[in-house]
Amino acid sequence: MSEMKKIKNLKEFSTSADRFEGANLLCPGCAHSIIVREILNATNDDLVLGASTGCLEVCTAVYPYTSWDASWIHIGFENSSTAVAGAESMYNALKTKGRLKQPDRNPKFVAFGGDGASYDIGFQWISGCMERNHNMMYVVLDNEVYANTGGQRSSSTPIGGSNTTSPAGTHSYGEKHNKKDMMGIMAAHNIPYTAQVAPNKWKDMVKKIQKGFATEGAVFINAVSPCTTEWKFDPKDTMALTDLSTDSLVFPLYEVIDGKEWNITYRPKNVVPVEEYLAAQGRFKHLFKDQYKHMIKEWQERVDENWAYLNRREEARV
Amino acid sequence: MAFDKMELRDVEVWDGNHAAAQALRQCQVDVVAAYPITPSTPIVEGYAKFQSDNFIEGEYVMVESEHAAMSACIGAAAAGGRVATATSSQGFALMVETLYQSSGMRLPIVLNVVNRALAAPLNVNGDHSDMYLGRDSGWIQFDAYCPQDAYDLNFIAFKVSEDHDVRLPSMVHQDGFMTSHTAQGVTTMDDDKAYSFVGEYKPMNDMLDFEHPVTHGVQTEEDWHFEHKARQHNDLMTKVSPKIDAVFEAFEKHTGRKYSQVETYDMEDADVAVFCLGTSVETTREVAREMRTKGIKAGVVALRVIRPFPFAKIQEAFKNVKAIAVLDRSAPGGAPGAMFNEICAAMYAAENSPLISGYIYGLGGRDLTKAHLVDLYNELEANVKAGKVTTQLQQFIGVRGPKLAYL
Amino acid sequence: MANTGWDEFEIGAMLRSFDGKIDDIAGTLQEDRAYSPNNSFVASVADWRIEKPVFNKDYCIDCQFCWIYCPDISIIARDKKMIGIDMDHCKGCGICVEVCPTNPKSLLMFPEQAEEEAELANWPAKDEEK
Repeated sequence: MSEMKKIKNLKEFSTSADRFEGANLLCPGCAHSIIVREILNATNDDLVLGASTGCLEVCTAVYPYTSWDASWIHIGFENSSTAVAGAESMYNALKTKGRLKQPDRNPKFVAFGGDGASYDIGFQWISGCMERNHNMMYVVLDNEVYANTGGQRSSSTPIGGSNTTSPAGTHSYGEKHNKKDMMGIMAAHNIPYTAQVAPNKWKDMVKKIQKGFATEGAVFINAVSPCTTEWKFDPKDTMALTDLSTDSLVFPLYEVIDGKEWNITYRPKNVVPVEEYLAAQGRFKHLFKDQYKHMIKEWQERVDENWAYLNRREEARV
Repeated sequence: MAFDKMELRDVEVWDGNHAAAQALRQCQVDVVAAYPITPSTPIVEGYAKFQSDNFIEGEYVMVESEHAAMSACIGAAAAGGRVATATSSQGFALMVETLYQSSGMRLPIVLNVVNRALAAPLNVNGDHSDMYLGRDSGWIQFDAYCPQDAYDLNFIAFKVSEDHDVRLPSMVHQDGFMTSHTAQGVTTMDDDKAYSFVGEYKPMNDMLDFEHPVTHGVQTEEDWHFEHKARQHNDLMTKVSPKIDAVFEAFEKHTGRKYSQVETYDMEDADVAVFCLGTSVETTREVAREMRTKGIKAGVVALRVIRPFPFAKIQEAFKNVKAIAVLDRSAPGGAPGAMFNEICAAMYAAENSPLISGYIYGLGGRDLTKAHLVDLYNELEANVKAGKVTTQLQQFIGVRGPKLAYL
Repeated sequence: MANTGWDEFEIGAMLRSFDGKIDDIAGTLQEDRAYSPNNSFVASVADWRIEKPVFNKDYCIDCQFCWIYCPDISIIARDKKMIGIDMDHCKGCGICVEVCPTNPKSLLMFPEQAEEEAELANWPAKDEEK
């Protein structure tokens, strides 16, 4: 076990030497890279990284440039989890056989995927990796939409959001289904560590990532990643949107240990009405028309209900 | 923890699946990621048992689909070590996306493909539909006709694929049930002798070299993609074939068993020849021998290496022949058989122009009988006498109902 | 790179992050790394910008909010101090300005063509209402 990197405060954190580089092709204001940086900078150990096809992948490994300062692999849309699990298996094999080139290292294995790659097309692959308890971390960059292909709904897209395959119109409020409870599903694999994180709450996030890196076994991280392009807000407001998402409890921050011990890790001092979260995004603009206004109330009720559920899970320790 | 060596008799009675599993064990594969599917399942079951009994040191990952099996193999191979798996049919079809990815990323994985029909309708028996599905995937494809071949070709496949001038994955094909589940005598190598043929894996661009980080699996659009695909094709066309010849030669020195990219039988003076693959080769050789006693100068040509297609070697094999029957064991899907097309292309560019007719046979495990082959040689002889193909260019053999023939 | 033929690059479209060996990447600052010509670090996205951030160090308290929330690794922090902006990698999103907590802000957005010295000379005063 390597020593955990000491990150007492932001000043100390800012001495990190980034292993993710600029002049990548992500949109200005994209939260993906903020999340990636917080994760990569949470450790000084070597990294073996993977990414599923999606915004992060197509913007960071377009020939002839890579934005990665650690070994990195992309295969397809559905299998970054299994690609990294394969690399982790090879690491274990070579360790047993005494054939590692640098046997004194403690590499961390991390796979990234968007919500489309994770909640939808790569769901089975991730489930397999979690069930087999590979010593790896899977991170969802959850922007609730297929952003790379121009804004189609995924099973992470929340109800009432307008997107290109469930657009709002005169007879539709947009997406008809509630977001899939991926955190609950992954926790039900009884893996050692599951956590929801947000990059605005960097301390909470880095603590969880470090906990994940210190864990022997599979770790699942769901990271909220506000998408300036598809959520339709000004790029400068990415962090403001992230604040709204955590402080309205639309994205509550919590962790689950061994599938049993649920801990809420952030309780906003002033909970923001969900309406403010919705109002800040173009994808929910239509909900403010008289015709669909009832949806806002329903949204608040759903968020309240989920928060109460999480509190009950935390209390029950089951 | 050290692993144990296994005592083998000089000749073991193994089916093709067990022969392949033993070869993987002896090659000391670092990672096998696999998913079971009939008829290849006993390969991964056999491997699992070897591991349970401490005959293997390495990782064996049972994943949740064939797509995941090849995905994990790609990750493992990019990480830097010896990697193998096995599959068949629908599993192979599910893997197809990752087959193109592994070859494009130049990762030397060995995939044992136990050939089986493709649904619908569902069928578990051997034909060459899955083998043909791999044709354009950029892999090297070896074809075994019997358990001995299945054993030997695994060693050869690792040796060719892992060469730093090659770095392309290989499939070792064997026919479902007819080879995979039919026990025959297999001449073995002891563990040390077997391993010494493949030798220790030499990593290249390995992700686990933390002092030289690499990015694998990039995106190349219209300004780069063509060049990368052209490079891969060039290496398949120019580097792989001489390497295979060299490895075949080394294998012959090592074991006394000789392989050739194009396997010919009685072709020195043959007037008529049948071209086929897999288990049909041995049956056809037997019939050819019998045809000779009836005064027909019959020969057999088969591919040991399907990809890269040995174009010039095929021309050489058929250079004196007057009529050829090309047998395709795959539903042609609205076209002449794939091997028919390829043989025609090779011979169109050759100096002689033999008469070539195509036959579709054996779909879904239907037997190819000696009687079928006798008829076929007689047809070829009639073609020679007539100086033209006397039948339609594509005929189905062994199917019930009114005769099927096209073109 | 632009004119390289099919026979002039590494197989598998593989890219290296660095030239030669690097022992401890996380312990090596950007200025001390031997980036390969294939590392996006050597590229520029400066032409994406319509507006650019200007840094006024007179008001900076080195809180590092701009460093951690910059999506483009463009806030240069060394020895716990904010020392400048990497203008090759900044896309002009404006997040750094939004998260800057000082009054007046130590970072402000200006049109790409603006003269930095002039803008620094005319920096807004403290907003008493905040």
